[in-house]
Amino acid sequence: MANLNVDSVKQRTFDAIVIGSGMSGGWAAKELTEKGLKTLVLERGRDVKHIKDYPTTNKMPYEFEHLGELTREIREKEPIVSRCYAFREDAMHFFVKDSEQPYLQEKPFDWIRGQQVGGKSLLWARQTQRWSDLDFEGPARDGFAVDWPIRYKDLAPWYSYVEKFAGIAGNRDGLVELPDGEFLPPFPLNSVEDHFKKQLKTHYGNRHVISARCAHLSQPNEIHFQQGRAQCQNRVLCQRGCPFGGYFSSNATTIPWAEKTGNMTLLPHSVVQEVMYDEKAGKATGVRVIHGKTKEVTEYYAPIIFVNASAFSTNQILLNSISNRFPNGLGNDNGLLGKYVAFHNYRARITADYEGLKEFATDGRNPAGGGYIPRFRNLHQQETDFLRGYAAGFRANRNQEEVRSGFGVDLKKHLLNPSWGIWQVGSHMMGETIPKAESQLSLSKNQKDEWGIPLLNISLGYDDNDEKMIQDYHAQMEEMFTKAGFTNIQKTDSKQAPGLDIHEMGGVRMGHDPKTSLLNKYNQLHACPNVFVTDGACMTSTSTQNPSLTYMALTARAVDHAVNEMKKQNL
Amino acid sequence: MNRRSAVKGLLFVTGGLVLLPSCMMESGKASIALKHLRISADDEKVLAEMVETLIPTTDTAGGKTLGLHKFTLKMVDDIYSEEDQETFTEGLDDFQKLTKKQMGASFLECSPQQRQQMIAQVNAGKAPQEVLGFYAILKDQTIKGYLNSKLVMTKLRKYELVPGRYIAYHPVKTTPKLS
Repeated sequence: MANLNVDSVKQRTFDAIVIGSGMSGGWAAKELTEKGLKTLVLERGRDVKHIKDYPTTNKMPYEFEHLGELTREIREKEPIVSRCYAFREDAMHFFVKDSEQPYLQEKPFDWIRGQQVGGKSLLWARQTQRWSDLDFEGPARDGFAVDWPIRYKDLAPWYSYVEKFAGIAGNRDGLVELPDGEFLPPFPLNSVEDHFKKQLKTHYGNRHVISARCAHLSQPNEIHFQQGRAQCQNRVLCQRGCPFGGYFSSNATTIPWAEKTGNMTLLPHSVVQEVMYDEKAGKATGVRVIHGKTKEVTEYYAPIIFVNASAFSTNQILLNSISNRFPNGLGNDNGLLGKYVAFHNYRARITADYEGLKEFATDGRNPAGGGYIPRFRNLHQQETDFLRGYAAGFRANRNQEEVRSGFGVDLKKHLLNPSWGIWQVGSHMMGETIPKAESQLSLSKNQKDEWGIPLLNISLGYDDNDEKMIQDYHAQMEEMFTKAGFTNIQKTDSKQAPGLDIHEMGGVRMGHDPKTSLLNKYNQLHACPNVFVTDGACMTSTSTQNPSLTYMALTARAVDHAVNEMKKQNL
Repeated sequence: MNRRSAVKGLLFVTGGLVLLPSCMMESGKASIALKHLRISADDEKVLAEMVETLIPTTDTAGGKTLGLHKFTLKMVDDIYSEEDQETFTEGLDDFQKLTKKQMGASFLECSPQQRQQMIAQVNAGKAPQEVLGFYAILKDQTIKGYLNSKLVMTKLRKYELVPGRYIAYHPVKTTPKLS
């Protein structure tokens, strides 16, 4: 029997454990396995195999029971996830339903979760911009949060590294605020997007519209063919999973790559209860896992552990990892674990019409979604009565429209013979929010989920800075739209709760000082260096860029460091 | 695969959209399963003639053949608020009464010309608010069902599942709108 136990422990011992298989977990898996480490990847949800498990991917609109719309029954039963733009009939199966996994909202927060192999990398909006030093230096310059322990030069080679593998379409725009990367050809701006770009150049000089940089194979390289991926076919049905592998997802890219090394063991239905800590050894020894279905508890061991469960779930796991040494959660000597969380403010939008450029329309679909306006407020110095700023999406559409006023033969004729409407333009804000101590996550004292894990309690809201920024966005965009000759300008504030941006970040922030941060500059817990956090939880500030590309780069960099340290026997 | 084709036999296919039949195909009841709406077999027939009047059969199929009345019922039953559902069923009732009053016959008994006359009147907004509320929903869903039907999407205004291109500057000639 003793031997059997030894064998069993051996079978459950790996060189590395990765918790989560989404955007950053997939990268951790790829990097670790490529470097020869036998790696266990734990995924809370079910397996989703590339192509095979995309059940709706080739469906025509009329093949959906309600043409894609949500039924009232679902909207009433699952109100939070129903507010997510991508939660529709074609992709519902890739989202966690409210009713399946409740959480507590001290303040309203729409927590959008994707728990399956691939996580939310199947569902993301695929926008990929690098940070610059104007972002990394933000907290230090403006006196909030703590200083980032890294600068652009630390991450730049890793941005290049992940961009080449993932495949990022973009233009080399030469902007200091949005560094250029290793780009595949960009998806071009259309005539009205270009018009707006020129207008901004003329009227402002320092405000730019660029082709949105996105994780699509506009023209695949050899490395992408090796992954079994093909050129993006402009379906823009990405949330269903792409049969061409046209956009980057863990499922199409990092997970199969890790699989190919023969070093990965992927275990779906693995709910991580906690990371285990050995006081004598002075390090984490492994993780305790509850089977998602059978509830069977199993322990797995490894000398290094990557926590990539998604920003808030990573906080939840660490807060729940209690030991004598860490009674308040793993690595939490300073009591800051779960604090200083933040998000991106997506409340404001603006739309308008444009009567010009009627000689052009577009044909086919643009997976990049149009243009991107990098942050221009408070860029090099403080110039407004709010801190930081916002980036914005910008797109122009021209649709085929039908006259619908009549009936009978006349109506039918019009429906089958649409004509071009005028151009419609729209923009949405992506505002930086300031992480604060009172913006925090905690564990419920008395409510547990069906796996016995305390529910996460989220307390995160808008502040004065956010409200001022919304006003400024509206005012600036209205001015820019007016100067560009757009008419019928409509400004809206959705008043939506934080969360629908799906850019929640922080709680396990990086920093120089163990007294004021949880992670060091290589994403290791200061107080437990064999545990790495490289998902959104590690973020010290949010800046305005869509964050996934930065998580990928941080992850690849952290794995490189981890393996080097292991070789030096420092871990 | 076998299971799938077996199930298929039990389903109505309307314009490509699949609907479940009502439980026992009871006489007097609507032919499709509805959870909220109370719709009689006659109501359904009236709706069928209404969608046919809205989108008539020409050299291509019309609303009735495409099952746009069933599609509308399905959508109103599953998607709309209780309030809108009430507007729909009560307005349908009122429309039938209005027809009887004005034409001296039920909508089903009306000639195609009389039906067109009734629809023309309601389409022009000349009817009580209740009827207009119902008609707006019906017309909206009929158009949506039509434009998203298999026939239109595969034959008449082709939907491209796989465009394989994005032309940012697509030259267009300004064609005059159909009058």
